[in-house]
Amino acid sequence: MGIKLFRQPELEKPVLICGWPGIGNIGLLAVDTLRRVLKAEEFAEIEPWDFFYPEKVSIINGLLRDLEFPTSKFYYTRLEQGDLILFIGEKQPTEGERMYSTGEKAYRMANLVLDVAERFGCRRVYTSGACVSPVHHTLKPRVISVLSSEKLTAEVEKYQNTILMSEIGGREGEGVITGLNGLLLAVAKKRGLESICLMGEIPDWLSSSPFPYPMASRSVLEVFADILGIKIDFTVLDRMVAQVEEVIHRIYESFPPEIRERYDERKFVAQAKPRGITEEDARWIKEHIDELFKKGGEQGGERTI
Amino acid sequence: MEKELFEIYQAPQLRSPSLIIGWQNHDAGKLTSRLIDFLNAKLGGQTIAEIKPSGFFTLGGAVFKDNLIQAPESKFWACQKSELLIFRSEEPKYEWYRFLNAVLDFAQHYCHIKELYTVSGTVSLMAHTTPRRILAVYNQSEFQEMLQAYGLEDMTWEGPPAISSYLLWVAKRRDIPGMSLWPEIPFYLATAEDPTAAKLTLSFLNSRFNLGLDLAELDLGVKSQNEQIAQLRKENAEINKYITLLETGLSLSEEEQVILAREVYDLLEKTG
Repeated sequence: MGIKLFRQPELEKPVLICGWPGIGNIGLLAVDTLRRVLKAEEFAEIEPWDFFYPEKVSIINGLLRDLEFPTSKFYYTRLEQGDLILFIGEKQPTEGERMYSTGEKAYRMANLVLDVAERFGCRRVYTSGACVSPVHHTLKPRVISVLSSEKLTAEVEKYQNTILMSEIGGREGEGVITGLNGLLLAVAKKRGLESICLMGEIPDWLSSSPFPYPMASRSVLEVFADILGIKIDFTVLDRMVAQVEEVIHRIYESFPPEIRERYDERKFVAQAKPRGITEEDARWIKEHIDELFKKGGEQGGERTI
Repeated sequence: MEKELFEIYQAPQLRSPSLIIGWQNHDAGKLTSRLIDFLNAKLGGQTIAEIKPSGFFTLGGAVFKDNLIQAPESKFWACQKSELLIFRSEEPKYEWYRFLNAVLDFAQHYCHIKELYTVSGTVSLMAHTTPRRILAVYNQSEFQEMLQAYGLEDMTWEGPPAISSYLLWVAKRRDIPGMSLWPEIPFYLATAEDPTAAKLTLSFLNSRFNLGLDLAELDLGVKSQNEQIAQLRKENAEINKYITLLETGLSLSEEEQVILAREVYDLLEKTG
């Protein structure tokens, strides 16, 4: 089990930004967009075989050519304000059928990621993910932050459209950031690194939808752009935003009128507690989301998102 | 080699054996069970070691099937005279890579294998009367060339890998030549026994390793099964129609496949 280092870039106090799949793939999409727009170069990879079962085999004319595993890769780039390492995990290492990592494998993966980061002098780590909230889908998703130390509060309060988790209320100050997007921060803290999680808001009823939620990824990316002192070209992401918004709007239009009316109250209420729809409404939407999504797809034709 | 992973019962008296591997899960046509039981019985296979289940299998309780407790078993047998090492196991639930390396560690460092063969049935939408093929996958082109004369059919496939393919890949990284044998099993025999596939596969192994096995006893099973299905075709026009369609190379609807599979299963279950 180990790390394959393709090259040894000279980096100065880089920050690490990590993304793994999760709800709405908010973090993963944000980090992958960063990789793409910054043309970050691949320099290392975590060997997959101890973490993943291969996903594809190629057998041609009787000869086994290759096995493909989910990748866990490191990229780097140099920016004016400082150097940057990006880590993108195509999958979270799981035991059994779970989506999120737990246990020994997740802990090993987190430590390997941080081994690489520290080797190149990194002292700060960011992850990103989803914050499932009782918000309306037409509102701009906020970015919710959780920090490794109170010392970071003042800095995070300056980020645009960003609030501390404690400010959204209704959670009694406690919660869990599931999977590696959370565990990595805990392991980083234990190793004495600063760590910050930036989570994009996703409406509760869309948290189990089968498509990504790029609107929240965009919010997270805007914050990363501030932190890194860069300008990001959002053209590609905005195309995806437009497609997903259209699908969501179709689903929303098929809500029964009384649910839609209650849900629309969310547009006008500062969110502290779930407002606008009842628990029963939320259950109805979740139960029907696959069906509603299908209806949207049928009307709009097949689309890649 | 991680010695704590193994229970070793006796030192193998093998010089440079070939390793034959069968997986018990999803054992289409009960091919693996039949083949490994047959080889061990005829060649005097001695249990020499096991891989301990801890870490690889769910140990939160016991599975039972037909009133019997099932325990995960990953066992090696040595057939000294024939220079064969045989391994049979369920597919591990966890830590596949470590498990496959454990299999190869024992086989390579303890038994000095020269090559390996995995055996699993591949379920096919074919009639039981259609001549069977053994589809083959190799991990080295030289090994493939060496075995060309056996008339196996080269497989082409891209998609999710079976554990046998994963093992071949791990073996390739260790420079161990290996192949997977995938005898075709008609889908309606997948949950029953398929003596024809067993005989075909054993014929290949018999010839490849000069085992001198008398396979005539398997002919009885083949003949008996063919007669039973022929009788069913006479008595049941619908089943006859479905098998005839398959014989002419046509396909069946999902519903027709289910009816055929159920009728044949019931027949073979009833007659034991």
